[in-house]
Amino acid sequence: MIFKILLFDRYRDLAPQLVPLDYTSHPDVKLPYELIGSMPELKDNPFRQRIAEVFSEDGEGNMTLDDFLDMFSVLSEMAPRDLKAYYAFKIYDFNNDDFICKSDLEKTLNKLTRNELTEDEVRMVCEKVIDEADLDNDGRLSLEDFQHMIVRAPDFLR
Amino acid sequence: MSTVSESLVGSSRSLSAAKRHKSIRKNSRRIYSAYQEQGSSDDEDKQDERVDSNDPEEMFQNIQYQKEIIANIRTRPWPMRRKLKVLKQAREIVLRYEGRLTRTRGYQTAGADLLKKLSRVLYNIVVLFIPWEVRIKKIESHFGSGVASYFIFLRWLFGINIVLTIMTGAFIVLPELLAGAPFGTTRSKTIPKEHLASAQDLDTIWSLGGYLQYSVLFYGYYGRLRKIGSAGYRLPLAYFLVGMAVFAYSFIILLRKMAKNSRLSLASASDENFTFCWRVFCAWDYLIGNPEAAESKGAAIVNNIREAIVEEQEKKKDTSLAVLISLRILANILVLLSLAGSIYIIYFVVDRSQKLEQEKPELTLWEKNEVSVVVSLITMIAPSAFELVAQLEMYHPRTSLRFQLARVLVLYLGNLYSLIIALLDKVNSMSSAVPVSPGNWSDSSSFLATISQPEVDSFSTLVSDISVSEHHNSTIATIATVLDVRNSSVSSSGSIFNQTALFEKNTRSQQDPCWETYVGQEMLKLSIIDMIFTVASILLIDFIRGLVVRYLSDCCCWDLESKFPEYGEFKIAENVLHLIYNQGMIWMGAFFSPCLPAFNVLKLIGLMYLRSWAVLTCNVPHQQVFRASRSNNFYLAMLLFMLFLCMLPTIFAIVRYRPSQHCGPFSGQEKIYDIISETVASDFPLWFSKVMSYVTSPVVVLPALLLLFMLIYYLQAIARSLKFTNNQLRMQLQTERTEDKKKVFQMAAARLQAPEAAVDKKPDEQESDITSQEASIHTPSPRRNGSVTNFNSPVRRGNSIRTITQSASRADLNRGRGAGSVRSPTVTILPKHRPEHVPNRKTIRSIHPVEAAGIITAQSYGGRRGPTTRYVIVNEHDPRKKLLRSATRIPRHYLMEEPAEILELYPRNFKRYPPRTAHRQPHPHRPQPSQPHLSEEEEEEDKGKGRRRMSLGKTHRPRSLSDLHQPAHFYIGDRGESHASMAKDSHTAQGRCGAQEEDEEEEDVEMDWGGLESHSQSQTSLRGADSLLVRSRRHIHSPGRHCQSPARTRHMEAYVKPKTRPKLETPLTESDSASLASSSDQQNSSTDQYIQVIHNKEHYLKSDARQGKLAKKKSKTSFDLNVTESNDLVCSNV
Repeated sequence: MIFKILLFDRYRDLAPQLVPLDYTSHPDVKLPYELIGSMPELKDNPFRQRIAEVFSEDGEGNMTLDDFLDMFSVLSEMAPRDLKAYYAFKIYDFNNDDFICKSDLEKTLNKLTRNELTEDEVRMVCEKVIDEADLDNDGRLSLEDFQHMIVRAPDFLR
Repeated sequence: MSTVSESLVGSSRSLSAAKRHKSIRKNSRRIYSAYQEQGSSDDEDKQDERVDSNDPEEMFQNIQYQKEIIANIRTRPWPMRRKLKVLKQAREIVLRYEGRLTRTRGYQTAGADLLKKLSRVLYNIVVLFIPWEVRIKKIESHFGSGVASYFIFLRWLFGINIVLTIMTGAFIVLPELLAGAPFGTTRSKTIPKEHLASAQDLDTIWSLGGYLQYSVLFYGYYGRLRKIGSAGYRLPLAYFLVGMAVFAYSFIILLRKMAKNSRLSLASASDENFTFCWRVFCAWDYLIGNPEAAESKGAAIVNNIREAIVEEQEKKKDTSLAVLISLRILANILVLLSLAGSIYIIYFVVDRSQKLEQEKPELTLWEKNEVSVVVSLITMIAPSAFELVAQLEMYHPRTSLRFQLARVLVLYLGNLYSLIIALLDKVNSMSSAVPVSPGNWSDSSSFLATISQPEVDSFSTLVSDISVSEHHNSTIATIATVLDVRNSSVSSSGSIFNQTALFEKNTRSQQDPCWETYVGQEMLKLSIIDMIFTVASILLIDFIRGLVVRYLSDCCCWDLESKFPEYGEFKIAENVLHLIYNQGMIWMGAFFSPCLPAFNVLKLIGLMYLRSWAVLTCNVPHQQVFRASRSNNFYLAMLLFMLFLCMLPTIFAIVRYRPSQHCGPFSGQEKIYDIISETVASDFPLWFSKVMSYVTSPVVVLPALLLLFMLIYYLQAIARSLKFTNNQLRMQLQTERTEDKKKVFQMAAARLQAPEAAVDKKPDEQESDITSQEASIHTPSPRRNGSVTNFNSPVRRGNSIRTITQSASRADLNRGRGAGSVRSPTVTILPKHRPEHVPNRKTIRSIHPVEAAGIITAQSYGGRRGPTTRYVIVNEHDPRKKLLRSATRIPRHYLMEEPAEILELYPRNFKRYPPRTAHRQPHPHRPQPSQPHLSEEEEEEDKGKGRRRMSLGKTHRPRSLSDLHQPAHFYIGDRGESHASMAKDSHTAQGRCGAQEEDEEEEDVEMDWGGLESHSQSQTSLRGADSLLVRSRRHIHSPGRHCQSPARTRHMEAYVKPKTRPKLETPLTESDSASLASSSDQQNSSTDQYIQVIHNKEHYLKSDARQGKLAKKKSKTSFDLNVTESNDLVCSNV
């Protein structure tokens, strides 16, 4: 619970004027994405908007305290890998169709590299990615494909 | 968790893309509400049971289940609010019922709860006190996890050193300080007179001479008294034991950490390569929170991806290989040369310093510190040289990093080793000089006596000294003693005339041979110089350079920040290796200088602050940011290697050399480890020493060794077999996953193809909703959770047994109600019946995504329990089913026997159509629908006869139809039973069809085909037989085939779809774990069935409009449809 209190402090620090100190009555408070995205943890992350969208209940990045706690619990070191993989998939699935398709991949790549790759390169990388991870040859990655691939990654933080 | 999340995905997959996001949320909410309902219904169940049975076992199980929820709540992908609610509810239930079981248990739980809370608070507090946590986090946010891993490693080493310090401090240093003889009382604790004048000079102190040399810092200071203080503390024994314990502790802690890490890391055996995927999806370091780091990380990612592209292109080209290879060979030669050079230089320097020491009485500062400075210089310069060389090689950054690390490690080791060998050389010369030198056998007491002796007596004193020394070193060969005597007599005959000269000589020879102190001094000196060089390099290379680059870039003609000097990078590899090297020195010297760990603790603290400051102020992130996960065993493996190699010289010195005679706790002993035998002999009761002598005799030691070897061999064999099974299981999982996924998508494709997509959609959606709901209801069903079997255990047989027992128990549980409904075919029972089965059936459907998820955890295995359950339940309904079928099929001549088989193997017999069905779907008008049925039959048979069939092989094949009779005989018992029920119920079959909607749903497929089959020709059946031929042959010929790479499977499937099945089948039939196979079969079957149902719908929806009306319950729409269809069919057939 200490962490929760700490997190609440963090949450409140983002917008002291919006968030009441007394949270016992569960007021319906949402922080706009602009505030969430400017947190030091997120502000340099190319996927910050996406992260906020995935974790917010309204899907637009505006977060309640619960969403906020969710986000931190998933991004924390202690979160289990499967959970992380699940949310990672959702983060990379830009159009929310439960598949990572080519357009998602392109978006991911462009965000990641800040549009520094040429179109050809992007296309090639997308093809390679799909070629590598798509086990069922449907041209897009399902959650299963994704998990299968990601849990084997040496870099996937444990 | 996974089950729920998968079902979530599974359910949402069927939804349209438009309202996707919200619907996911809605769905998950529904799951949750379903869970709630389930919880409340559980409550009701509870109440019911309390009323009639008050079964404590049930209650206990429920509580266990709720506890499990509480424990695993963190792993569920639910929003926080839901989690909190569920948690609260589960807690309430647990509280409410746990107390009810027994009062004491209630108190116990209350106490346990309190304890848990307390421990959690404590844990949180402890976390707050983890040293440098905030600092490391900050670094992590700026530089990514790679740099942070260095600091985490440093902190871990710091912890180890703290423990080592406590060990040496508490058991050696403190007792010596408190109870040992005070400074200046004994010979070994007194600074010799001629050194006293210079004892406080800076350069003496600097070279650790003078007061420092005669202090607790070094081995020589410690007294040799067996017991000190009033409590009789055995210092020499403690010294020896602690010296060994330092190594033992380090080993144990290292190995434990490594084991823990390797348990964490799953990557051990994956040979798959997802280069691009990982580069894209795992590229971003989510710990980065600094714009600069983010910038460079982004650049690094771009580089990385470009590199991968280039590599990919180069793979195709494969040019300039010769140049590359020659370059690499050249590079390796260069590296080897520099290694050899550095080793030679060190050896040369040590040799030179020794000669200088012997020749010159007074050494300059440089000459004194030559060795350490040279060693430190080499350790600084050589890695950079290696790095330059590595650029020649053009390896992939990660590979080159590994190479770099290995080379630097070899360099460090070479340095340390050449140093220690040179030192040991010196020690050797020292200790070989010992027996010859005249003063060696006079101990401190006799020395004092010697001083007070008048001139004339000196010879006699020396002679008496000889006897004393003989007494002490009783093991010295007499020859040596005689030699000693002669030597001493020679020298003492001279000394009669010049006593002062003898005294001088004596003191000198008594001071010098304390080689342990010498080694300790050298080690400490090395450590200090290393520290100084580290500080200097940080200040010079990082700080000054940073300053220059920062402030002089304006007044310079080129951009300092991006061109030549740049900012320093934080080189993880070198720094980590430096830490390892440093720790190696500590281990090497700890025995000879007990305060070395304490010094190292200080050094590490300083290093921590200095490094973190330097990193944050004047370093930029490494260009090639590579990420180190926390469970990286690489550093630890190197550390372990280092520990082992550093332990060797120490142990060698302890075993090989004789301890110095005038200093240290072991003076006067022949070997250091004699202290143990001495203690055993004198301080333990007689029987113990007897026992010890027995135990240490070869008669015991040799068999013990043998036993150990055997044990090692055995364990290794077990480990190997476990690894093998692990691999096999993984393969199997993978194939199944692949297969499942394929089917899921075929299903999706089939659905898309259906012309009545719109009509289809609704029931599907509902179905999937039910799926998710019911999955969430039933996956965590307490009964099932009660028997959580650990599928991760690689012993397959165990698994299967457990699963079987479980299913059996479930069968028992359900039989009561199920059987009742069978016997009395009235509609009234059905409502009760229904909720029992629907979920079961559903669970399976919802489960296949889990399978596909690729989570190789117990959870996903847990998901399989669904099918197992279903197996039993389905069997339970077999009589009825068979009855229906027999009603349908009796008119047909050659299928008479079939029901029996189906009865037996019902859950499996769906298994194989789907690929074919899906395959067929593009041309549904072909007259081959009978083929699936036939093959199905055959498969039943195939399955039923299992391995027998495999051995029969081809010979068996051609008579497929006649063979059909055979299986029937095998299950004659079942048949009889079913016949009985059939006789009773056959006339009601039709009537019940309508009522038993859900039960028959499974049969729809069957019926449908039965109907179609009646049109089948023998020719088509032959075709089916052909496919069987293929299959059975494969059974025989491909026992090891199932280990195929998934890529290949996929590849093959792309072309030869119908044939892939058998291949996948192989592992199933072959595997010992029938349960595993059957469960997977069922998963397959569920999917298949699903497809089939849709298929049916396509066929019949058009013709039968009224079916829609029949759908009374929303959730059952699709089933109702099918049931009515099948009813029609049945009627027509009869």
